[in-house]
Amino acid sequence: MGRFFLRRLGQAAVAIFGVTTLVFFIQRLTGDPTLLLVPETATKADIEAMRHTLGLDRPLLVQYVGFLWDMLRFDLGRSFIQNVSVATIIGARLPYTLALAAGALFVAFAIGVPVGVVLAIRRGKLSSGGLMGMVLAAQSMPTFWSGILLIMIFAVWLGWLPPSGPGGFGHLIMPSVALGLLSMATFARITRTSILDELSKDYVRSARARGVPTRRLVFRHLLRNASIPVVSIAAIEISHLLAGAVVVETVFAWPGLGLLTIQSIVSRDFLVVQAIVLLGAFVTIGLNFLADILYSIIDPRIRLDGGPS
Amino acid sequence: MRTLRILGAAAVMLAVAVGTATAKDQVIIDLVNEPATLDPHLQWNPDSYWVYRNIFDNIVTRDNAGAVVPQLATSWKRISDTEIEFTFRTDAKFHDGAPLTVEDVVFSVKRITDPAFGSPQLGQFNKIVKAEATGPNTVKLTTDGPYPALLAQLVKLSVVPKHVVEKVGKDEFNLKPVGSGPYKLETWQRGVQVTLTRNDAYWGDKGGFKTAVFRGVPDAATRVANLLAGTSDLVVTLNSDLAAQVEKSGRAKVLTVQTERVAYFAMNSFKAPLDDARMRRAIAHAIDKEGIVEGILMKYPKVVGELVSPSHFGWVDGVESIPYDPKKAKELVAQVGAAAKTQMDLATAPVYDQRVVQAIQQMLTDVGLNVQIKMTDMATWLQGQQSAQDVAPMLTFSRWSCACQDADGIMFPLLHSSSAWSRVKNDRIDQLLVAARSETDEAKRKALYGEIHALVREQVSVIPLYADAIIYGGAKQLKWTPTPNESMFLNRMGWTE
Repeated sequence: MGRFFLRRLGQAAVAIFGVTTLVFFIQRLTGDPTLLLVPETATKADIEAMRHTLGLDRPLLVQYVGFLWDMLRFDLGRSFIQNVSVATIIGARLPYTLALAAGALFVAFAIGVPVGVVLAIRRGKLSSGGLMGMVLAAQSMPTFWSGILLIMIFAVWLGWLPPSGPGGFGHLIMPSVALGLLSMATFARITRTSILDELSKDYVRSARARGVPTRRLVFRHLLRNASIPVVSIAAIEISHLLAGAVVVETVFAWPGLGLLTIQSIVSRDFLVVQAIVLLGAFVTIGLNFLADILYSIIDPRIRLDGGPS
Repeated sequence: MRTLRILGAAAVMLAVAVGTATAKDQVIIDLVNEPATLDPHLQWNPDSYWVYRNIFDNIVTRDNAGAVVPQLATSWKRISDTEIEFTFRTDAKFHDGAPLTVEDVVFSVKRITDPAFGSPQLGQFNKIVKAEATGPNTVKLTTDGPYPALLAQLVKLSVVPKHVVEKVGKDEFNLKPVGSGPYKLETWQRGVQVTLTRNDAYWGDKGGFKTAVFRGVPDAATRVANLLAGTSDLVVTLNSDLAAQVEKSGRAKVLTVQTERVAYFAMNSFKAPLDDARMRRAIAHAIDKEGIVEGILMKYPKVVGELVSPSHFGWVDGVESIPYDPKKAKELVAQVGAAAKTQMDLATAPVYDQRVVQAIQQMLTDVGLNVQIKMTDMATWLQGQQSAQDVAPMLTFSRWSCACQDADGIMFPLLHSSSAWSRVKNDRIDQLLVAARSETDEAKRKALYGEIHALVREQVSVIPLYADAIIYGGAKQLKWTPTPNESMFLNRMGWTE
C-alpha cells in the first residue's frame, strides 16, 4: 500500500508539473491580454506601459521561473482583469461547481444505473429497445440545446423552476439534469454491459437454479460484482462533468469554475486559467487514486501493490 | 402516488418562490458578465461601467438627448485653447458622509492620468497634463494642446474619494468602492451578483428602486428566458432574432436606440489589389447595406454614408452611402482584371455578428471576388488590426465606439496614417484630421469633418455601413430610455404598476 501510494504521488507530481508547464506556454503562444485591456485608441507607449504593469514584458523564461517559484509557495497570483487574488476568485466559484457536479452525478447515477440494470435484464424485449433509444437520445443532445430546452419548458412555459443563476435547491435542478444526462447514458450503457457479462457466469446460473428471485439476485450479487467498471467510469465521468460544466454553467449562468474557465480563456486571464488547470489536474489525479482504492474495497482480490493475489 | 404528490407540492413551492423573487422596490438587471472591477479608474468595459457609474458621479454627464450637461461640475469656462476651469457643486457627499471637494477631483484626474497607476483608460485622458484647484470649488484642467473633445471624454471620468483611496489602497478600494453617486455598494457576491442600494442622501435625482441587482448571464437566450420568466427586469445586448422573440412573447418589451457604434468595412489599401481604388469601389457597390439592415438586423440600425453616427459631433447631413449596385461592381472587377481574383481574408472575431460577416462574404463572392472568412479570438483579431500594413488583414468588418460621441474618437484612429488601425494613406485626410482635432470653433470643426467625409467617400478609404443599435429587453412596467452612449443610470429608471 505504501509503495503504491508513493508511486502514485510521484506520478501525480510529474503530471501536474507537465500540465501546468504546458498550459503556461500554450497560453502565451497566442499573445497576451494587453490589447483587450486598453482602449482601441491606446498608443504603442500606452500598450507597452500596460504590458509592463502586468509583468508581461519580461522574458518568457523569467516569467516561467517566477511562476514555478509562486507555485512552490502556493501563490496563485492576481487576476489581470479583476485585480484580485486568483485564490479569492477560485474560492468563490468552487462551491458552485462542486454542488453542480454532485447534482449531476446524482442524476447520472440515480437514473443511469437502474436503467442499465433494466436494459440488461430485459434484453431483447421491445421495452428495452425503447429505453435504449431514450438513453441514446439523451447522450446525443448537445448540452447548450438541452439546457435552453429545459429552461423554456420548466421556467418560461410552466414556471416551475427558476431559469438561471444560483439560489436555493430549485436553481440546481435544471443544470444538474442537463449536465447529468450525458453521464447518465454512459452509466446506463456500462451497467448494462457489466450486468450482461455477469449474467453469463456460473454463479448466476446456480443462483437461478436454486430459485433465487431476480430482484435479490440483482441487488445482492450482480450489482456488486458489476460495479467495478462503473466505479472506474465514475472517476472519468467526474472529470467529464467538470469539462461539461463549461457549457452548462454558461447556459444556466451558474457561477462555477466552468464559466470562469471560458471567461478567463477569452479574456486571456492567464493566471486564473493556470490555477483552474492546476486544480483540474489535482482533481483528476485524486479521483483516479480514489477509484483504485475503491476497487480493492469492492473486490479484495485486487491488490494495489501488484504481485500475486 | 405519494411520491408524485410530494413532487407536485415541491413544484408549487418552487413556483411560488420564483414568482415572488422580484419585488417592486428591486430592479434585477442581467448583464453579459459580472463587472470586472468596480474601481472606475480600472476596467471600462460595459459590464463594469453599467454598475460603477451608478456608484460614482462623473465631472459632467450626457442627458438622454445626448447633450453634455453638468453633474459634479455645475459650469465651466474656457480660459484659453488649452485651459478650462470647472466650478463644482458643494452639496455632493460620498457614501461615508464626507463632503466631495475639489481636492477629490484633482486627485481623481491625477490618479487616472498617472502612467504608474496603469489605468487601462489612460489613452482617453492623457491629453490632460495638469489638474489644479484654483479656488474652494473650482478646478482648472490643462491639456497638451487645443482639445475640443475634452468635455466628451470627461463624461467618463469618475471622482473617487481621496481620503478613502489613500487609506485603504487600490486593491481594497476595488472590492469596497465608496462613491458619491445615487447608489452605493451593498454586496459583491463574486461571480454571482452585485447588489446596490439607493443613496437616499444623494444630491440629485434619486433612483426609483430601493435596490438594484446586477447579474452576469453570458448566454443571450438565457437572458431572454429570465426576462420572459419574470426573474429579471432588464437584459442587455440582444440580437435582432432574440428581440423578435421578446416582441412575440407579449410578456416583455424591446428597448432599443441607435448608438454611436458605427459598423464599417475596412480594406487594406497598402496591399494589392486593394491599392486600386476601383477595387475598393467595387466592394462598396457589392455590399447591400440596406439589405443587411433590413433583412438581417430587422431595421434596428441606420445605414450611414459617413464614418460617424448621427449622435456624434461631426455628423453632416446628406452624405449618401455608396449605393448597392452589383452590376457596376462586376464591371469594376472586370476592369481590374486577374488581380481582382486574389484571395482575400476577411478578419473577424466571435463578438461580431457572423450573420452580417457571412452575408458580406456572399455579396463579394457574387460579384466575382475571392473572399475567405478568417475567424480568430478577440485578442488575436485586435493584434491583427494593429499590425504593420504588410501583415494586417486585407478585409475587416468591425464596429467602433469611442464612447465619446465625437468624430475624432473614431475617424482619427481609423483614417490617420499614424494610427495603428488605419489602412489609409492620404495626406489631405491626415491634414484635415489634425486640423479638426484641435479646432475649437464648432462650426469650422464640423466643416472640416464634412470635407473628410467627402474625401473618404471619393477615395473609398473605408466603407461606412450602419450606425448600430443596442437592443435591450425590458419588463413591460419598466420605464427607461436607452441612450446612444449605452449608459445605464438607475436614477433615470422607473416602474409603472
